[in-house]
Amino acid sequence: MRVVVDRLSKAYGYVWALKDITLELRPGECVALLGPNGAGKTTLLKLLSALLAPTQGEITLDGERLQTNSPRLRSLVGFLSPQDHVYDGLTASENLRLFTSLYGKGKNRAETEKHLEIVGLKNWADQYVGSLSTDMKCRLIIAKWLLLEPRLMLLDEPYGVLDGSGVGLLESYLRNLTSGGGVALIATHHVQRALRLCSRAIILDHGRLIFDEPKQEPWESFQRAFENFAPREERWNY
Amino acid sequence: MELLRQTAWLLWKDLLLELRRRESLLAMFFFGVLLLFVFNFAFEIPREKAAEMAAGLLWLAFIFTGTLGLAQLYQAERENHCLEALLLSPVDRGALYLAKVSFNLLLMLPVEMVVFPLFWMLFNLEAWNLLLPLFLVAFLGTIGFCAVGTLFSAVTLRARARELLLPLVIFPLMIPLILATIRAMEIVLRTGGFEEASSWLRLLIGFDVIFLTAGFLIFEWVIEA
Amino acid sequence: MAWAEKQKGRRGRMILGGLALVFILAGLYFALIQAPPDAYQGEVQRIMYLHIPSILTAYLSFFIVFVGSSLFLWKREKRDDILAYAGAEIGVLFTGLTIVEGSIWGKPTWGVWWTWDARLTLTAILLLIFVGYLMLRSLIEDEDRSAVCGAVLGIIGFLDIPLIHMSVYWWRTLHQAPSILRPDKLPWENVHPSMLIALSINFLAFLLLYFYFLSLRIHVGEMQEEVKRIKLYGVV
Repeated sequence: MRVVVDRLSKAYGYVWALKDITLELRPGECVALLGPNGAGKTTLLKLLSALLAPTQGEITLDGERLQTNSPRLRSLVGFLSPQDHVYDGLTASENLRLFTSLYGKGKNRAETEKHLEIVGLKNWADQYVGSLSTDMKCRLIIAKWLLLEPRLMLLDEPYGVLDGSGVGLLESYLRNLTSGGGVALIATHHVQRALRLCSRAIILDHGRLIFDEPKQEPWESFQRAFENFAPREERWNY
Repeated sequence: MELLRQTAWLLWKDLLLELRRRESLLAMFFFGVLLLFVFNFAFEIPREKAAEMAAGLLWLAFIFTGTLGLAQLYQAERENHCLEALLLSPVDRGALYLAKVSFNLLLMLPVEMVVFPLFWMLFNLEAWNLLLPLFLVAFLGTIGFCAVGTLFSAVTLRARARELLLPLVIFPLMIPLILATIRAMEIVLRTGGFEEASSWLRLLIGFDVIFLTAGFLIFEWVIEA
Repeated sequence: MAWAEKQKGRRGRMILGGLALVFILAGLYFALIQAPPDAYQGEVQRIMYLHIPSILTAYLSFFIVFVGSSLFLWKREKRDDILAYAGAEIGVLFTGLTIVEGSIWGKPTWGVWWTWDARLTLTAILLLIFVGYLMLRSLIEDEDRSAVCGAVLGIIGFLDIPLIHMSVYWWRTLHQAPSILRPDKLPWENVHPSMLIALSINFLAFLLLYFYFLSLRIHVGEMQEEVKRIKLYGVV
């Protein structure tokens, strides 16, 4: 999966949320998307998943232009936002069966249970999602994307709700994805954790791209760029 | 084919959620009954006139009840940003429309099926054999109501004063539907058959077909998280 | 927008306004002075010279909303949306005017301010749809979404018009006894020629006035777009 973003801009009313974002995500990359609140990280993720249409510029996935009306491309993109995109009133198993059918990858009960076992939710298959804890909900969502097999995975603050083994689960999933040529883009405040996993960092501020470099050691340029935004406790220690 | 399969799965999801929570169905049912009571107090309906006024009162009750149901139509998608989840998926927006129209229909029809006989009992009407043809006319009218209502419920999804705006927008559009359904029902009650009502029924069917098609085609531009 | 274009636009609007004024004055002269009073209805019939043209402009307005809405959904160019919105706003004005005129005519003629006859009812429904359109547009905060949703209503409303027509006319003809006074008798059957002239001049006057108002409203819309463009992209 190759993602090309060309002078992407999004305006809400009279204000630019994103302006002139140009970047390329190459197959096998895992990229950390950083920046303060309101920088435009979520907007960028929503544009990349075709939930929003750009005001200017364009996005290309594997050479094909992404529009809000491209079902085939939509099936290749995953969006992980913990707590979101599962129905509280359905069981874990029913949620998986619903979404795999909608994506044209209908799975029977045995396969969904197998994946629930992988994420550690085997005994909660028939529990309503509304009664699951936040960590378990996130694991269910990981199971969902395991089944749907996207090539571009967009993550919006995944680290906040997962415990240690949950993080391990997520990271092994992302490593599998990228080693198979897929791309992961993680928007987060948990810089240290993200940079353990990611090979590249992008920083947005006030809708503009101000830093885009592959990970290197030492990484003084990153420290300098980052110093402006890091909350005291998240100061990145190299 | 694919479209129908997706529609079926989306409808399954809505039905399952509704059966488990029973939010909309029960509320709509009781509201419909309540309206009948209020009409009785408001209009002083003597027994002789009840048959004449039945069509208008019943259909009015269903329109108001249905409008309540429309406000709840996308409720399942409000939690956990599930509408986003559906829009992210490769699902055809038209399938989403058809599923919601069907769901709306499946909410309104049971309410109608119970309120009709209840009305007959409350007002001591006799023509029980006419209930079925009346119900068929109401079914056609309900389809049109759901077609227009589902579309504009999505249009007003994130508008301010949504509960006021939705009826304001759809009621004028549904005047042909209201007129045709009530007139046809009146004719059935008066004559016992469909012949005299044929032009009204044709108008009704035309309305249903036009707005189901238009809604299906236009929905993708209208639905947004 | 280039300066020369702006000037041309301004001049065009002034000419349109001037023409409209001339025809309105001429129309008023013909309607109030030149044309003879109606044999049955007397002086009050003169309001028909305003009422009939304004009904037609009301329906024309709806058509313009439809055209603007369809073009906008197809091409997504802002100026089509401006056309649709302007059509709705001016349409509300002319439709409201039509109803008031009809009511003023109705009081001395039928003795009532309002009657549920087919044409008045239809015009009232048209007004309600226009009002619904404007309310919808103003209550949706995101401008792009407001434009798309308005366009959807503009198209659906237009598709509905023939159905509304049919249903209201059938409803009325099945219920109302025929009246001696036929308000929908079109005056160009066996009428005095100067009545015809008065009607034609007023018809033209209303069209010109309508297009003048429409052009003003479109101009306002274009200026609003210009402001937005400047705020987003800076002055070019």
